[in-house]
Amino acid sequence: MTAAERRAVRVAFAIAARRTLADPGGLVVSGVFYLIVVSALSAVWRVAADANGGALVGYSAAALTWYIATSESVTISLNIRMIGDLGEDIGSGVVAVELLRPASVLWIRVASELGRAAARLVVIGPAGVGVAALTVGRPPSWPAVALAVPAMALALTANVIAQHAFAASAFWLRNATTAWFLYQKLVFVLGGMLIPLEVFPGWLEAVARALPFQAMAYAPARIAAGHAEPLLLVGQMAWIAGLALAARAVFRMGERRLQVVGG
Amino acid sequence: MRALLATARGAALEAAADRRALASQALAMAVNDGVWIVFWVLFFDRAGDLRGWDLDGIILLQAVLTTSGGIALGLVANARRIGTLIVDGGLDPVLALPASPLGLLLLRRIEPVNLGDFAFGVTLFAVAGHPTPSRTLLFGAVVAASATLLTGFLVLTGSLAFFAGRGESGELGFHAMVLLGSYPVDVFAGTAKVLAYTVVPAAFVSTVPARVIMDFDSGQALLLLTAASTVALAAAAVFRAGLRRYTSGAVWTRA
Repeated sequence: MTAAERRAVRVAFAIAARRTLADPGGLVVSGVFYLIVVSALSAVWRVAADANGGALVGYSAAALTWYIATSESVTISLNIRMIGDLGEDIGSGVVAVELLRPASVLWIRVASELGRAAARLVVIGPAGVGVAALTVGRPPSWPAVALAVPAMALALTANVIAQHAFAASAFWLRNATTAWFLYQKLVFVLGGMLIPLEVFPGWLEAVARALPFQAMAYAPARIAAGHAEPLLLVGQMAWIAGLALAARAVFRMGERRLQVVGG
Repeated sequence: MRALLATARGAALEAAADRRALASQALAMAVNDGVWIVFWVLFFDRAGDLRGWDLDGIILLQAVLTTSGGIALGLVANARRIGTLIVDGGLDPVLALPASPLGLLLLRRIEPVNLGDFAFGVTLFAVAGHPTPSRTLLFGAVVAASATLLTGFLVLTGSLAFFAGRGESGELGFHAMVLLGSYPVDVFAGTAKVLAYTVVPAAFVSTVPARVIMDFDSGQALLLLTAASTVALAAAAVFRAGLRRYTSGAVWTRA
């Protein structure tokens, strides 16, 4: 990536973040939606922990609340229809115009989505801390919370890049709706957004741990739940590198195809 | 009445025009709903009982929620979009027609994706809801009440756009209702529980209907019927009141 491209990526990030912050209505909707999800889902897990002697698969009721507050914050901060929107732009040929710019379509789009997500997280993150603190008190471990912050940034990055890799299927299928549905469910369940991976039966837990989706919700959530495990961050970074290579390869193949077809 | 029927027929024909798209979108939504069942299976496998709710109860709750959601979001799809339609001036076309504007609005659009919810809910009840003749009758009745309440609530919150000038209230109402309705209300405590029975009456969309099927109680059934009628009547009244303030969608009128 040249210096000019790096600057274009930084500018795309900043513009997207500013635009998102300039729409308080959208932020309020995201924030209220987040609060409802966290209140409802964490209540379910707290009841389950209380019914099982105060802890479930090694998580206390308080830890489960912080887990859900974190896993939901890094998921709801993202544009829920990112894959569908990107697929539509690819399928309709809109993306062909972006190919004329002297910067990578993939990284400009990734930067824009990350800018939007970062701006939403500025609102949703404190809301999550507030609702968790009000419900169950302070987090299980302050050092773990400090470690969870970079893990959340890495989770957003891994998720956005992976969504672009999935959406690139539209270069061939002209529609990414099915990929969107499939992807979303993989993050919800195998990514640990709804449910800590330790709750799964052994074989399913092993499968979930071997997939990249756990880097997008489980990793920061487990850390925020009091497990300051730096290896989770290392795993996230490794997945980001792998996903970035995959997304770049798929986009390059797709862009060549789009130019041949004519958009 | 004839205009309403013709509108509903037109919406059905439009939705069925592309059968492959209809089937694939409905199937995708059914898979989406299935993931929630997977979640609850995994959950109960580890957690056991949830304040009196077991997997059978939750399956019934999900069957009611997805079936009534399929009606409110699929068959009368504009219920969810009323706020946006008001803000964008989308009511103009129905105001010129000789029938109830709200009726026309609700019947003029079918959302194929959410028909998958309807199919999923009915199938879930048939396969895992232990259907007997009496339970099936009760299922039909409580789904009708639940769908009426959900539709009414969406219209009510969407109609607030007449007064607030923004359409987000409808979307918020939708999310709040569906999210709170996805869990048995007994897991909530204090304010959240009160809210689920009053301001966001999600308890009457899933928990109470499921309870009526599991263990019929005339008091609960009457409460459900009263809640559904009240919300539906309130929605119609607020929409009518708001319509008097509607100033068309021509953009220059809002300058």
